[in-house]
Amino acid sequence: MSDNVKNVIVTSIFILILILFFLINLLKKDTEISITERRKLAEFPSITIKNILDGSFEEKFEKYTTDQIIKRDEFRKLKSELELYLFRKKDNNSIYMYKDKLIKIEYPLNEKSVLNATKKINEIQKRYFSDMKCYYSIVPDKNYFTNNSEYISMDYEKLQEIMSENIKNVQYINIFDCLNLEDYYVTDIHWKQENLQKVVERISSKMGFYDRLNTPYEKKEIIEFNGIYSGELHTKVEKDKICVLTNNIIEKSSVYNYENGKETQIYDKSKLESYDKYDIYLSGNTPLITITNPNAKEDKELIIFRDSFASSLVPLFTEGYNKITLVDIRYMKAEDLEKYVELKNKDVLFLYSTLVLNNSSILR
Amino acid sequence: MLFSSINFLYYFLPCVLIIYFITPAKYKNGVLLISSLLFYFYGEPIYILVMLGEILSAYIHGVLIDKYKKYKKIFLISSIIISLGTLGIFKYSDFFITNINSLLKSKISLLNLVLPIGISFYTFQILSYVIDVYKEKVPVQRNFIKLATYVSLFPQLVAGPIVRYIDVQKEITKREHTFQNMSQGITRFCIGLSKKVLIANQLGELSQIFLQTNEKSIIFYWIYGIAFSLQIYFDFSAYSDMAIGLGKMFGFHFLENFNYPYISKSITEFWRRWHISLGTWFKDYVYIPLGGNRVGKIKLVRNILVVWMLTGFWHGANWTFILWGLLFGILLIIEKTFLLEKLEKMPKFLGHIYVIFIVMISFIIFNANNIGEAIKQITGLFGSNGEELINSYTIYYLKSYFVILVLAIIGATPLLKNTVNKLKEKIKIRKIINICEPLMIVILMLFVTSYLVDSSYNPFLYFRF
Repeated sequence: MSDNVKNVIVTSIFILILILFFLINLLKKDTEISITERRKLAEFPSITIKNILDGSFEEKFEKYTTDQIIKRDEFRKLKSELELYLFRKKDNNSIYMYKDKLIKIEYPLNEKSVLNATKKINEIQKRYFSDMKCYYSIVPDKNYFTNNSEYISMDYEKLQEIMSENIKNVQYINIFDCLNLEDYYVTDIHWKQENLQKVVERISSKMGFYDRLNTPYEKKEIIEFNGIYSGELHTKVEKDKICVLTNNIIEKSSVYNYENGKETQIYDKSKLESYDKYDIYLSGNTPLITITNPNAKEDKELIIFRDSFASSLVPLFTEGYNKITLVDIRYMKAEDLEKYVELKNKDVLFLYSTLVLNNSSILR
Repeated sequence: MLFSSINFLYYFLPCVLIIYFITPAKYKNGVLLISSLLFYFYGEPIYILVMLGEILSAYIHGVLIDKYKKYKKIFLISSIIISLGTLGIFKYSDFFITNINSLLKSKISLLNLVLPIGISFYTFQILSYVIDVYKEKVPVQRNFIKLATYVSLFPQLVAGPIVRYIDVQKEITKREHTFQNMSQGITRFCIGLSKKVLIANQLGELSQIFLQTNEKSIIFYWIYGIAFSLQIYFDFSAYSDMAIGLGKMFGFHFLENFNYPYISKSITEFWRRWHISLGTWFKDYVYIPLGGNRVGKIKLVRNILVVWMLTGFWHGANWTFILWGLLFGILLIIEKTFLLEKLEKMPKFLGHIYVIFIVMISFIIFNANNIGEAIKQITGLFGSNGEELINSYTIYYLKSYFVILVLAIIGATPLLKNTVNKLKEKIKIRKIINICEPLMIVILMLFVTSYLVDSSYNPFLYFRF
């Protein structure tokens, strides 16, 4: 190709790329939600003299054009492939692959945050449950199982040490040895309900309700799903499946949500329409719910302070209690609890993942 | 607006290019001026008035200098006072107030003014115009639109290179638009864009990881020094590449601003290759008027130190920048006195190591928030902060950024450029390269867009000046 022809082709191609992108982006209908990123995409900002002069329009417009660009997901996929295969980076947006599992780096250990979590737990225990038996358990995140690999992970022993040294009058139930990496989804942050038998056994026997869990479960495969990390690292990985363990007791139990006043089943199939299929378990993240089991043999009640890992675990406790209340203090203040729930004569469990303990400023 | 943004690439630039090229020649400057003002207004809605005020002042002073030759010195001084005064108020007032307060224990309140983007660059362009009109090196520009187009030209408005009026005066009036210019400009722009987005931003991430972690190690201090030195080169030279490329698309030929500075064998050579437009500006408008080389030894030392203190201070209102400038001033004096001669006799690699080490130290100072932090980071290179030699955190990020670091090191040398030029000498290979070039443009644009869509780190380091 001669220099002159090349000059014409380079010019034409470049101008064509710019104009095509400009026109397509201009004419294309805006997308509301990014499923792969689990978030709302920016909308066209309102134009006022005030927000133009204070620079906020420009900032929002930039966010809007970046969010609404045509083939956004494909570009994100290309970027993650370039990161991993061209630049040989170990992670993309802190997500890496280890033994066929996608994992987000959680590093380093934030000792102040863990201390803050212990303070919260102590405060709640002292305020409501000083005369009741209280337990706490920690759910390790996936990084725990990459120890001694080339990837970096926080000091989990130190985390447990800080917890046990600072939490008073609450007994620790260690479940780290009940789990391995296979018990977690490939593309998601969470653990698989169908693999939690050992965890259920450990917690229920320590808390004294193991003997009340008698009815066997039936495993049902519900749907394939892409977890929260699948949009960040576009490598070829197995698709995850949502399975539920169910039995008569679970099916006949109901869940009351204090926030919206609705009653649902333990496995809320309406959530299969949402982008996070894990929300099938107890309808996902919400401040306060109570599971009522009408077939309970004893009139026992349990209150659990929890994060999202509890959503798939707690259904397996149903048979052991008449009522189980789940409180998420990421979404409500613990001080408001007594307005909604009777707090006497209950078993109490604090169940938090290392991810929340390491970022405990989200606890109210 | 950043060149490396979806806004600029896929909204602003296509609109400007289309309008510019369908507009008749005599209105093209008007299109460029309006586009440039919009470009500036987008980032600095209010401060556009400061820039327009400065342009108006330069225009009036230029005309007055030309018309009233008897009083031209007064008009020159008045113009310089207005330009440097404005720069001083926005950029340096809080620095001086802070230092006066700590010296005299006074409590003068800070002005807390936001620095208008690009003010250091366009002030110097304006000064070059007025001084050159005063010295009768260039004729006065009586067309306000042409002068305003020169100062506000968006390709070089916010981060240089500092284009002098004398270098573009003819092209402001008449310039050629050819496919050759356009194609060269596009290629240069895409290379700059890729240097910025694919290399500099990633090195920036690595630097940030170092600065934010408590798990530093001696090796990580070195990685940071190297990564930041490469980041600032790729960031700033990429901006110059994009500016030169965009300029060419619109028919302007800006002078080169970088010439592979990291292959220098002395600091003197480094400054002939780094931010060339700033170096020559200070040489022509400060160093030579002070007497330059043609003075006694003491005055020469004074001249060099003044120029380099000002060069440092131009970069920012902080003692770290003054120290950074003075460090170079002192080294240049030492080189002028005896070191340069010795370096020439030594094996070449020793000169390279000396330059790279000094420049790395200088950029650690440059990027530090204060002198204490700079000293801590420099001593950290030698383990005096008690850190271990290496830890798992360092190993992880060294492995993760290894390819980027290697690519950046290779890219900082003329190896690739020389190889391509050598290959182009053979007609057959030249034809193949010509086929590859449009393909490369498409691939780079796709790669860059993918990073712009999914990146959190995308600042321009030189925007703060």
